[in-house]
Amino acid sequence: MLQRYLDPAVLAGISGLDLVAKTVVDGFIAGLHRSPDFGFSQEFAEYRAYSPGDDLRHVDWNVFARTERMFLKRYRGETNCQVTILLDASRSMKYASLRAGVKLLEKFEYARFLAASVGYLAHVQRDAVGLIVFDDDVRQFVQPSSRQGQLARLLHAIGSAQLGTRTDFARPFAHVQQFLHRRGLVVAISDFWDEPEKIINTVAPLRFHGNELVLFHILDPEEIRPKLKHPVLLEDLETGDALEVGPDYVAHEYPERMDAHLEDLKTRAQGAGIDYFLIDTTRPLDAALREYLAIRKGRM
Amino acid sequence: MGFFAPWFLAGIAAVGLPVWIHLLKRHKTDPRLFPSLMFFEKREQSSVMHRRLDYILLFALRVAIVVLLALLFASPFIRRAAPASDGKKVTVVAVDHSFSMRAGDRLARAKEEARGVLGKLHPGDQAQVIALGAQVQALTQVISDAGELRAAVDSIQPSDSRASFGELARYVRTLAESQRIPLEVHLVSDLQKSAMPPGFADLRLDPSTALVFHRVGDAAPNWTVENVAAPRRVYDPKRVRVQATVAGFDTPEAKRNVSLVLNNKVAQTKTVDVPANGRAQAEFLGLDVPYGFSRGEVRIDGGDALSADDRYVFAVERTDPRKVLFIDDGRHPRAELYFRAALDASGDSAFQMETLRPEQAANAPLGNYAFLVLSDLGSVTAGFEDSLRHYVNGGGSLLIALGPSSTALPRVPVSDDAIEAASYAGREGERFLSVSDIDTGHPALRSVDRFAAVKFYQAIHVTPSKSRVLARLNDQTPLVLERQVGEGKVLVFTSTFDNVSNDLPLHAAWVPFISQTAAYLSGGGAEQPVNLAVDSYVELRAGDNKGAAAEVLDPDGKRLLSLEEATTAKNFAVAREGFFELKTASGRRSLIAAHADRRESDLTVIPQETLDLWRATGGDNQGSAGAAGKANEDDKKPWGLWPIILLLLLGVAMVESVVANRYLRPRAEVREGIKQEAA
Repeated sequence: MLQRYLDPAVLAGISGLDLVAKTVVDGFIAGLHRSPDFGFSQEFAEYRAYSPGDDLRHVDWNVFARTERMFLKRYRGETNCQVTILLDASRSMKYASLRAGVKLLEKFEYARFLAASVGYLAHVQRDAVGLIVFDDDVRQFVQPSSRQGQLARLLHAIGSAQLGTRTDFARPFAHVQQFLHRRGLVVAISDFWDEPEKIINTVAPLRFHGNELVLFHILDPEEIRPKLKHPVLLEDLETGDALEVGPDYVAHEYPERMDAHLEDLKTRAQGAGIDYFLIDTTRPLDAALREYLAIRKGRM
Repeated sequence: MGFFAPWFLAGIAAVGLPVWIHLLKRHKTDPRLFPSLMFFEKREQSSVMHRRLDYILLFALRVAIVVLLALLFASPFIRRAAPASDGKKVTVVAVDHSFSMRAGDRLARAKEEARGVLGKLHPGDQAQVIALGAQVQALTQVISDAGELRAAVDSIQPSDSRASFGELARYVRTLAESQRIPLEVHLVSDLQKSAMPPGFADLRLDPSTALVFHRVGDAAPNWTVENVAAPRRVYDPKRVRVQATVAGFDTPEAKRNVSLVLNNKVAQTKTVDVPANGRAQAEFLGLDVPYGFSRGEVRIDGGDALSADDRYVFAVERTDPRKVLFIDDGRHPRAELYFRAALDASGDSAFQMETLRPEQAANAPLGNYAFLVLSDLGSVTAGFEDSLRHYVNGGGSLLIALGPSSTALPRVPVSDDAIEAASYAGREGERFLSVSDIDTGHPALRSVDRFAAVKFYQAIHVTPSKSRVLARLNDQTPLVLERQVGEGKVLVFTSTFDNVSNDLPLHAAWVPFISQTAAYLSGGGAEQPVNLAVDSYVELRAGDNKGAAAEVLDPDGKRLLSLEEATTAKNFAVAREGFFELKTASGRRSLIAAHADRRESDLTVIPQETLDLWRATGGDNQGSAGAAGKANEDDKKPWGLWPIILLLLLGVAMVESVVANRYLRPRAEVREGIKQEAA
């Protein structure tokens, strides 16, 4: 029953990223374990006896007035994990193919939903969430935080992200490295149209700071297995170059090269300790989130 | 097989269009967007393979459409036997009942001859009876009922129309096209030469038409009253002159008694010597008729072949002279003198002129006058101009002469044309002006000899706003202008009527100019003639007075118009000789005299060689119906293939639509996707 709502085509009809994120996340988040760490967020957990060195701001002075003993208030939900979402807004993300005369969801829309859902999920988990929208440079940056209103800021940034030009991972990832001082989780959502070696070499340094790195590789089904009945002139969305291709090539050589590319990327990612997930835009969003949560379980 | 328009076959070259669309255009269009071309390589093979014909079926259909279209325009035909007529034919019996058939017993003989033709028809044979006058009158449809055909012949009555063989040929051509089987036309007529059309080409017949002549009369000597010239209105009976022309056709020299009959009483009789095959004129002085309409007639002695043309009817109306008001402020005494002299000299004393000063005229009953003349008035009071305007709006007429005094006025009274300045001759070396442009077709300027040799020394320059310029001087100053105001009209002469500003009153053009202008202005509009030839049309109403009833009484005193026709008919055709009493929708009553066309009086017969030539334009010059049928059987006629090609074209076009829709639908969806992206 839940699956019905998570169809990307259905989600595309929902207005507002917050609603999309809630629809995706709330359905299966129920029963998820609470964070084992204590913090200073809103939900009270227990009192603890004061010991020298504790922060006096957390002393419950009412209890002290009644008992003349100092206790600290402790709360649930606070973790120290920082989630940074990298959203690719290059022009190639605009692509959407037709299936049976109906246009599929654009890769960028799908990526937005995924980013919003991950962000919402992290927020529910009391994680600090940040966002970087990039194409060949950083276009938008939301500082990771778990403060109130962070989700709104995040969703607004995702919603207002505009498609840029070409993809270049080098500059945005170098930028990310400047801001990632705490260990955390970096979620990169992109179509990764570049050489696998170059991609991995660019993103791998993030791992050195103790970050966990997850790559969501978003592709349209037509990109993986294009179908042509007759020769056509193809135009590159990013560069504008045009090339005439025939059905024979698309039917035989292209799938081989594409499969080799995906396999190469996956192998290299695993070799670098990076989690890699290939998702096509017809796949329900909750499946992608399950992958994400499976990783998060291990980290929390 | 052949082509009626083979040059259209060049249109087959348009086959290149679908070839271009399928081979070339498609190769270049519709680039498809793709995220990355990382894994694509340029292959020559792809390009070469692309240049094969795609959508073979669609291409073939489109080529077929172009070829069929070119064929359709080229109009191919095949020769094949004419539709099996099996010796069938339609017999057309044309009986001439024109005015000349009144001679002797021609019409009775013609009818007898027609019955003889019908009697030779076999049961089941199809025939039609038509009556020939100025128009062809089909008395029956194409039928095989012998009784009805005979009854149609019996019903033919003599008419006063003029026969037209051109009309007969046109009708027969139309019938041949519609019937598509051979025609055998029997023309029963006196074969009068004057019935021939001006061009022989108008007589041509369809190749499947056989023409048989049945002549029922020979050329015979005939005298006739060819024409009568009498005035339409009589003001002074003693000064009226009636001229009659007596003509003889194929006649020896003879004396003929010519009588003038007024209201069925012989008024005068004269004897004239008519030369052989010639004409003579008889003139009657004085026309003593009572007030109102009178029926006149000029008669000659009878005794010739066609007695019906020995009388010529005409209508006259006796009225009192009409009053004309000449309004003058006394500055140009000679203008009045010249104007009065011209009116009196016009011959028939139709007008009586009165003279008043402007201040007197302002209180005069203007409606009693046929028209008014304003002779160079220096001032026109507002009240007087209102009276003038009211008079003209009600149908009155105004003749305005402008002169030096008129330059004080800002505009011409009633016509409202702006008065600019006086135009003087002699200032720039020109000693006088003359008329350069003139509308000689206008009733007022018809016989003025273009004002030749008239010198104009001064004219008032008027800028016409709504007026029509009828004459101009050589410096382009308008000389005569006319404007319709309400029901009446205003005629402006931009010079004076005396011999100071011009010397027109001293020239021969003066009297006809004034008399014609007076007749035109007093007529209240272009009056229709009262003496007409049969088959002429008489106007019953102008376009603006619908609803008012008109009335026509024929020579027997019977009403010709039904109630509906009386309120709607715009004109009616005068179909017979005699006097017609007429009341038009505007209420004007008149008596119209109609007479037969006198070309019918010439009973000369068409020469045999001309008849042979005419018959030869048809398919069979033997005049034998059986032979005509046989000849047509042997004839192979071109038979157009265009209906088949048109049907084929429609079919191919429909299949093309279905196939194209099937092929192009996915592409349309792609475009739709692109549009959505753009949105």
